Amino acid sequence: MTTPVLHTQGVCKSFGDHVALAPLDVDVQQGRIVGLLGPNGAGKTTLLRMVTGITKPDDGTLRMWGQPHHRSLLSRMGYLPEERGLYKSMRVAEQVLYFAGLRGMDRQEAERELKGWFERLEVEGWWKREVSDLSKGMAQKIQFIATVLHRPELLILDEPFSGLDPINAALVRNEMLRMVQEQGTTLVLSTHDMGSVETLCDEVILLHKGQKVLAGATDAVREDARGGRIQLKVRGNLMAFVAELGARAELLTKDTRGTGVADAVHSLELALPADWPMPAFLKWAVDHVEVLEAQPRRLSMEEVFVQSVESAQT
Amino acid sequence: MSNSTGPMDVWRKIVWREYITRVRRRAFLVATFLGPILMVGLVAGLVLLTMSTEEPAKVWVVDHVGLVTTELEENQWVPICPKCFPERSMLSYQFGDEPKTEAELQAEGFTCMVEFDDGIVQSEKAQLLHLDPPSGRIKRWIQRDLSEAIERAKVLERPDLNYADYLSLKTNVSLVSMDLATGESKGAGQGGLGFAFSVFMLTFVMVYGMHVMRGVIEEKSNRIVEVVLSTVRPGLLLAGKIAGIGLVGLSQIAGWSVLSWVLFGALGMAVEQSAWMESWTASQGLTSGTADFATVVAAQEDLAFLLDINWGVMLGCGVMYFLLGYVLYAAFFATIGAMVEQESDAQYLMLPVMLPLLFSYVLASMSIDAPESTVAIVSSFVPFSSPVSMMVRLPMGVPWWHVALSMVLLAATAVLLVLLAARVYRVAILMYGKRPSAREIMRWLLKPDAGAL
Repeated sequence: MTTPVLHTQGVCKSFGDHVALAPLDVDVQQGRIVGLLGPNGAGKTTLLRMVTGITKPDDGTLRMWGQPHHRSLLSRMGYLPEERGLYKSMRVAEQVLYFAGLRGMDRQEAERELKGWFERLEVEGWWKREVSDLSKGMAQKIQFIATVLHRPELLILDEPFSGLDPINAALVRNEMLRMVQEQGTTLVLSTHDMGSVETLCDEVILLHKGQKVLAGATDAVREDARGGRIQLKVRGNLMAFVAELGARAELLTKDTRGTGVADAVHSLELALPADWPMPAFLKWAVDHVEVLEAQPRRLSMEEVFVQSVESAQT
Repeated sequence: MSNSTGPMDVWRKIVWREYITRVRRRAFLVATFLGPILMVGLVAGLVLLTMSTEEPAKVWVVDHVGLVTTELEENQWVPICPKCFPERSMLSYQFGDEPKTEAELQAEGFTCMVEFDDGIVQSEKAQLLHLDPPSGRIKRWIQRDLSEAIERAKVLERPDLNYADYLSLKTNVSLVSMDLATGESKGAGQGGLGFAFSVFMLTFVMVYGMHVMRGVIEEKSNRIVEVVLSTVRPGLLLAGKIAGIGLVGLSQIAGWSVLSWVLFGALGMAVEQSAWMESWTASQGLTSGTADFATVVAAQEDLAFLLDINWGVMLGCGVMYFLLGYVLYAAFFATIGAMVEQESDAQYLMLPVMLPLLFSYVLASMSIDAPESTVAIVSSFVPFSSPVSMMVRLPMGVPWWHVALSMVLLAATAVLLVLLAARVYRVAILMYGKRPSAREIMRWLLKPDAGAL
């Protein structure tokens, strides 16, 4: 196993009596896109602020690229906070170059890179304009450029698509993917937009009230959360089928189309126990009804999120 | 692939940003150009509109101890050095060892009386009591004559004098004017100038302190601070901001000084070559071409003191006091900025910061008439009031160690306050939705938060 880009062991942070983050263990591997999820106040921002050096953990180990966290490592990261702004009294390019300068980037190299980014994100012509002239979406794109201009190896984005229309969101998403694929950038994405988590993230970490409640590969997490649920379309005597099923599986929903005991088509959702996998169930089911369709019930990330948070609360 | 960069390098970039984004604003440029134009216009107006002409002065010199005079016959006193008191068309002297009453002076045609004893050797100060105030030029003549006579008296006591000793005997008497009828002191020119400087100081410290506060609020309210702090330590950001905005203030002072100097020069040249100058020279009984702009200014009772001011010292001390006072108050303003999310929330927090500044303004206005009073002296040492209070005292002459001590105290306090402010700033700047309580601030001050990496 390679050295993780980010490794935390038992890191925690309190503000006065309020525990913002309970001891947390997290690993993020290079080149992965990791979704950091959780309701408001879950501790996401606290964790991100510790990774970006803005605050120090009260306790625990925080290692970046295998080294104890240190300020010299900060220029290898790019951080786009959720609520973000720009200096109104500066010009667009001047501002982006200022941030690149703070991160130690050579001026000429920064200008060269910036020209490329302005073209790719379709903001040419804004180089010398005042920041106060920018629309919200345009400002978002400039902030994104300011975050990535110095080619960070670890990119931490908090709600990167908020304020962007679908076309610009796609533009930014493609650039993020390009960085991951071409440069091997590692991406930590903190967002409430579960749609983008499903399409982008290889892994997710779900925090709730300062604690990790879920972590793993996105597909595995969704599969685990499925809890044996399947969707089934059958024709035949439903009453008899359910009676046969008995307590072996739980009928969650049903929807019937058509009339007549033998002709009606039923859409069902069932929860199968762990010791009765779907193939074995289907083998059994075809003896009792006509199975028209069958598939595992895939949970959306939103459902996984709600389910995990609710179970953490209880 | 990024290179890391040293803290000084980062600090310089922050300073530059804070500086350049402010000095290129139209408001800054307008203020920098308008200030000197208004100031020079005021002086020009005073010179040209009052067009004051001089009346000849006849001075009764009261030398209580025979320091510069000797008794020739009964009640007939003459100067030991007659050359020191040359006859001039506009100025004549008579000498004695007893003061005259107002009625006697009036009856004998004297316009003023200078009175001193041997204390003048130490203090270099004498009182000028006048019926009619002499013009600035005449007052300067009297000062020069008296200084020369006292210098001679000192030299005569030291037959074995070498050049270095001679230099140490150089004397520069200043006259404290007072109206005989009303008892009003007329050294007010210097006091007034000092007060103007102190008001200027107060305004600058306040205006630039508030720039710091607004800058901090801007960064906090639009959340850009989080991006900056992911690269820069909060203390470094604060230090860069204070330095950058301080530089803006310095640039304005420099701009005003240079522009005023140029404008005064231009005004002088314009006046010297004008028809007005010829008529003025003629009215003064001077030969055409012998008087310059300085002569005109010296002849103005209200402006002549301007020529006596050591502008280098005033400007040098002014710059130092501005810088140190600004840093001290910027620490407070930055803390307030970090505690609030918008400027309107800062209003009532600013009151405790404004109070010492306004209090020192009141003290300064009291010091105009009594620059040697205990209140004036003490307040020019207390760091919270010294930038404003010392400026009033400076034009009237202050021992150098007073200035040095007050600057050292001010500098030490400013550094301490900035260090304390940084402790509050680095936590408060990241707090949203709630203002830190007094208890929290005390905790951060006494037991600093872990802070940034």
